[in-house]
Amino acid sequence: MKLGTRNTILLGIASAVVLATAGCGGGLLSSGDGETAGASGPVKLGMVVPISGSSAPTGAYMKNGAQLAVDEINKAGGVLKGRKLELMVEDEACDAQQAVASANKVVSAGAVVSVGGYCSGATLPTLPIFQKANIPMIIPAANSQELVKQGLKNVFMINGTGKQQSTTALAFMKKAGLATVALVDDNTSYSKDITTETAAQIETDGGVKVLLKTSVTAGESDYSAVVRNIMAKKPALVYWTGYYQEGGLIINQLKKAGFPGKIMVADGSVDPSLAKIAGTGGEGVYATMTQTPDTLKGAEKWIADYKAKFKTDAGPYSTQSYDAVRLAAKAIDDAGSTKGADITKALEAIDGFPMFSGPLKFTPEHTLSSGGFLILVIKDGKFTLDNTLS
Amino acid sequence: MTQLIWDGLFVGSFYALIALGYSMVYGIIKLLNFAHGDIYMLGAFIGFALLTSLGGIPASLSLAALLVVLLVSMLLTGTAGVIIERLAYRPLRGAPRLAVLITAVGVSFSLEYGIAAIAGPNPRAFPVRMEGGVFDVFGARVSLPQIILMLIAAMLMFALNTYIQKTSTGRAMRSIALDMTGSLLMGINVNAVITRTFFIGSALAGAAGVMAGAYYGKIDFLMGFIIGLKAFTAAVIGGIGNIKGAMLGGLVLGFVEAFGTEWFGGQWRDVFAFSVLILFLTLRPTGILGERVTERM
Repeated sequence: MKLGTRNTILLGIASAVVLATAGCGGGLLSSGDGETAGASGPVKLGMVVPISGSSAPTGAYMKNGAQLAVDEINKAGGVLKGRKLELMVEDEACDAQQAVASANKVVSAGAVVSVGGYCSGATLPTLPIFQKANIPMIIPAANSQELVKQGLKNVFMINGTGKQQSTTALAFMKKAGLATVALVDDNTSYSKDITTETAAQIETDGGVKVLLKTSVTAGESDYSAVVRNIMAKKPALVYWTGYYQEGGLIINQLKKAGFPGKIMVADGSVDPSLAKIAGTGGEGVYATMTQTPDTLKGAEKWIADYKAKFKTDAGPYSTQSYDAVRLAAKAIDDAGSTKGADITKALEAIDGFPMFSGPLKFTPEHTLSSGGFLILVIKDGKFTLDNTLS
Repeated sequence: MTQLIWDGLFVGSFYALIALGYSMVYGIIKLLNFAHGDIYMLGAFIGFALLTSLGGIPASLSLAALLVVLLVSMLLTGTAGVIIERLAYRPLRGAPRLAVLITAVGVSFSLEYGIAAIAGPNPRAFPVRMEGGVFDVFGARVSLPQIILMLIAAMLMFALNTYIQKTSTGRAMRSIALDMTGSLLMGINVNAVITRTFFIGSALAGAAGVMAGAYYGKIDFLMGFIIGLKAFTAAVIGGIGNIKGAMLGGLVLGFVEAFGTEWFGGQWRDVFAFSVLILFLTLRPTGILGERVTERM
């Protein structure tokens, strides 16, 4: 929640609206399902990603990635023997209230599959909306364990989960010989998910010691309090699991305070702006992240295509969004229909579908069987591959 | 321990600078100007725009350039405050207080999303960073930029206090705070004095915005929201409407936060700080320096 307390009241109103409109959504779709009227028109894919707000840059990467896949598929003949795909992008703003409104918009516009979802905290309240409308969700980026905890049949995650990210983080700590760690989150569902999971895994493993587990309030400038806490405990590693704005500030203030240890951030902080905000202190900061085009071998053609089309470089989650659309198209073709239940079944049956993160087969929880997280490091202000831990 | 006190003092002086504007405006026209935190944000963005337009500044001149930018930004945010008062608050001078309060919330949103529309929603890295030597003072890490910023804040607050106590405008402000109609009858140009109050309060918030940008290095269009709430809290703790109370309240809030983190952990800091606020309001609704209710300024 970027807007803080002001939104809590609005959120209450929004959830009331959701309850009221969710019924309509179901009605709309069930009538759409039965009719054959739309059977020759374009197949709509809904994408709720941040277009405004602090996560807007990532939203643009995701939108472009998805658009690239849509164009490629349409060029190759579309889906269901000649129907075109159509991408409908709505704003998530990393804000629960906005995401809910956008999800409703996407549902009532007749989207067949949802291929959006960046901020877990904003994606979570959209689950019931898509579920009521029986629309399968292929979530490219949001990866809180909470998203699949409810066991909804229509929810699929193609980003590594918080659990898998934590496993990678722990593996790195052990490999780099970092014996003590401070876990810092920003109290959002995505961020807390990773610190809690990491702490639990460290507890079971026993090889590393958690000296401090604490939270900060997002949206502030002064993080001297948490810096002081960290300096008092002197851990070998600080693992920040929030987003890049606060991450940049905390790194900067830790370095100013003379913190001698290492710093690592989670995938929400992997953004070119992190190094800019952190200033000179950003050099050598590690990150747990899934594959990006830059870290992938053999992605040169894809990167060139992307650049030719959008005149900018691909960024975080461009590939996942690209894959989400391809996966949706494949499932629609496999199912031979645009009915939510059929597509869900087709998604569950997929085995070995080639994606950037490797061949895809969903676990019974609808997550990736392997997360594909690796370790990046900031060099000359840019995230580069450091270690695949394999 | 000394580190705690120093950190509390440093954050507290930011709160105090912003709390002053809240308190002055409340003292004079009984308006909780919720747009005040966004004036702080506006100051940071004006500073950002000025520094960017100046282009590459040699490191040796960066402090001088920053001071010039600070002054220009103060002038501009002060003017913005005056314009806001003229357009949004003055037409409602006789209206119920609730109407003006809602207008203030409206102004706050307009500023936030106006800046988001003009400057873009993405956070910006400030072009000039204050970097400097670090000293050890009684076991606390104290950096040169921190000292400079606190000196600037102290000077601004001292100047304000002198202005209010020693000049005729200051006397007029105090008299309007006591009794607006009476002051009007005594020949004080009430509107002109209120305009000046808005100018000074907004200029102080703008100064805090530029200083925060230069010290922390990141600005975004929502940066004024939380600090606005905190400054409001500081003003209430100190006794809203009381200038010295606002300064004191800022420092007290800074300490409360620093010690709250130390005792209860970071996740409990705001819970602790705002519990202190509630406790204060229950036990002493007028705030620390609130006994001078009769004379608000």
